[in-house]
Amino acid sequence: MNPWIAIGALAVVSVGIPVAMMAVSSLLRPSVPEQGKSAVYESGEIPTGTTRIRFNIQYYMVALLFVVFDIETVLIFPWTVIYRPALEGGASMTEVLAPMLVFIGVLVVGLVWAWRQGAVQWVSSPRALEEKTEANQ
Amino acid sequence: MVTAPPLTPTFLLGLTALAVLTYDSVWPDSTDGSVLTGISVVGSLASLAAAGWFLTAGTGLATDGVSLYADAVVVDGMSLFFTALFAAVTILVSLASFDYFAGKENQGELFGLMLLAATGMSLMASANSLATAFVALELVSLPSYALVAFLKNDRGSSEAGLKYFLIGALSSAIFVFGVSLIYGATGSLLLPDVAAAFESGLGDRVGIAGVGVLMVAGGVAFKAAAVPFHFWAPEAYEGAPAPVSAFLSSASKAAGFALAFRVFVVGFPLGPAASAGIDWALLFQVLAVATMVLGNFAAATQDEVKRMLAYSSIGHAGYVLIGLAALSAEASTNGDVMGAAMAHLFVYGFMNTGAFLFVALAENWGVGRRFEDYNGLGAEKPFAAVAMTAFLFSLAGVPPLGGFFSKLFLFAGAVEAGLWWLVVIAVINSSLSLFYYSRVVRALWFEEGDHDLSGAPTALYAALAVALIGTVVLLPGFGPVIETAQQAATALFA
Repeated sequence: MNPWIAIGALAVVSVGIPVAMMAVSSLLRPSVPEQGKSAVYESGEIPTGTTRIRFNIQYYMVALLFVVFDIETVLIFPWTVIYRPALEGGASMTEVLAPMLVFIGVLVVGLVWAWRQGAVQWVSSPRALEEKTEANQ
Repeated sequence: MVTAPPLTPTFLLGLTALAVLTYDSVWPDSTDGSVLTGISVVGSLASLAAAGWFLTAGTGLATDGVSLYADAVVVDGMSLFFTALFAAVTILVSLASFDYFAGKENQGELFGLMLLAATGMSLMASANSLATAFVALELVSLPSYALVAFLKNDRGSSEAGLKYFLIGALSSAIFVFGVSLIYGATGSLLLPDVAAAFESGLGDRVGIAGVGVLMVAGGVAFKAAAVPFHFWAPEAYEGAPAPVSAFLSSASKAAGFALAFRVFVVGFPLGPAASAGIDWALLFQVLAVATMVLGNFAAATQDEVKRMLAYSSIGHAGYVLIGLAALSAEASTNGDVMGAAMAHLFVYGFMNTGAFLFVALAENWGVGRRFEDYNGLGAEKPFAAVAMTAFLFSLAGVPPLGGFFSKLFLFAGAVEAGLWWLVVIAVINSSLSLFYYSRVVRALWFEEGDHDLSGAPTALYAALAVALIGTVVLLPGFGPVIETAQQAATALFA
């Protein structure tokens, strides 16, 4: 028997079970339309406003800056692991240290540049401020 | 004695990008681009000089090549040739950007992104492993998306950036999927090892390898703006600021071809690949015909000069594809025809950049985008119009200009390789291109027009002059260019 049949069967079953569950429950359940059911679920809190809110663009900048440190960590980890064995194995200090210093140097240039461009400056959104003052009046 | 590392031209481009970012960190609010332009031009010149010196000074790099970093990167005649081209285009575009973006904000980003993209292009020409190739491809693509959308308050520019990004992301995914299939079929990412696996027979993994080769071809077709991944080109070139269009349509396209030349010739040797049923030369013959016919016929129906140039740049991708299409296993003509394609890209780098820079000049003057809007510019700004005329006739391949010789060698090489039918199609397309290029020339010189033009922006004029010198000096200088290119290409087949 072709082993792929098992995978195909898995796919059929995994689609079939939820569809079947939804179909059966829609046949069995009584229909009681009520407002509370369509409200946004907020752990029992009464929701204020809709779910579709705009996040400050600043979160995006922070996420991008995080990538710098993320990549840095990913590549420094294996380097620290081989650092001592490489030195003991006869590699010179410059050979082991310099590439990592160059790499971090390039990242530092990028980070300083982003900093100076105001990427970590928490800008105030004029629209949000406006709405806040309107609500207070 | 200290010897320079073989990757010096690439390093210089990258260091220049860092220098630009450092300058921009110190003075982030400056809207004066003169220092940034200066850094970019000097850095690119240094890179160009280093590449030229390595090529000509008998360092052995041009003929033998040297592989570095566990064979992930190779520096040879081809990579140096293309790096010289990228550096030259970067010089032209940086000069033009000084006037085009004068007084605008975020100029540090502009030059930084441009230089980082140039670094990536140079790395693409050196990539000897599919992993390096993908990283380099992304290093070119990501700055390019941002560059196209650089005028972020301009609807056209943002729209073009989004379209370019979507198609680019799709084709990057296709490329990297193809790479994974190649790795699955051959067990290596290094091109020489992939080639060895092809030569020792793929067994029942031929199908996987075939799909992988097809997908890698799709990835490079995107960079080179060739059918079937050309859709982004007219939109991106039209919406992008004109110097960026010049950069993308010349340097970025050449980078795609540099990658294609090395990956297909070194990685997927045609003899074993074709006998296994993966005849990629046939694929490129089909793509070459489709690309040049579509590019040229679409260019003939355009109303706007920039869009016409965009389609003509697709058409030129079709001509250059002949360099891959005319290859055949163990043929002695391989080096000649691929070298001619490289030389055509080199000449194209000057004449096409020049033509787009004239469009940049027209945008700078506030002249409209359509053919009619260029009416009578020849009488008012004779130097710029003469330069544009030379670029256009050179693009069309009219005899006394650089573009004629490169096309001549390319077509002659293809005829020698026995692909006369492809050359017939190319020549028909070439004569059609003369029709639509001459529409611009007619508007410039023979139509009456009235314009209120401000003065002559110095840096843009200087860039035009350099491009013009490049186009015209490549007449007597074409001998060395084609020799270097063909030598570099032949070395690839050795």
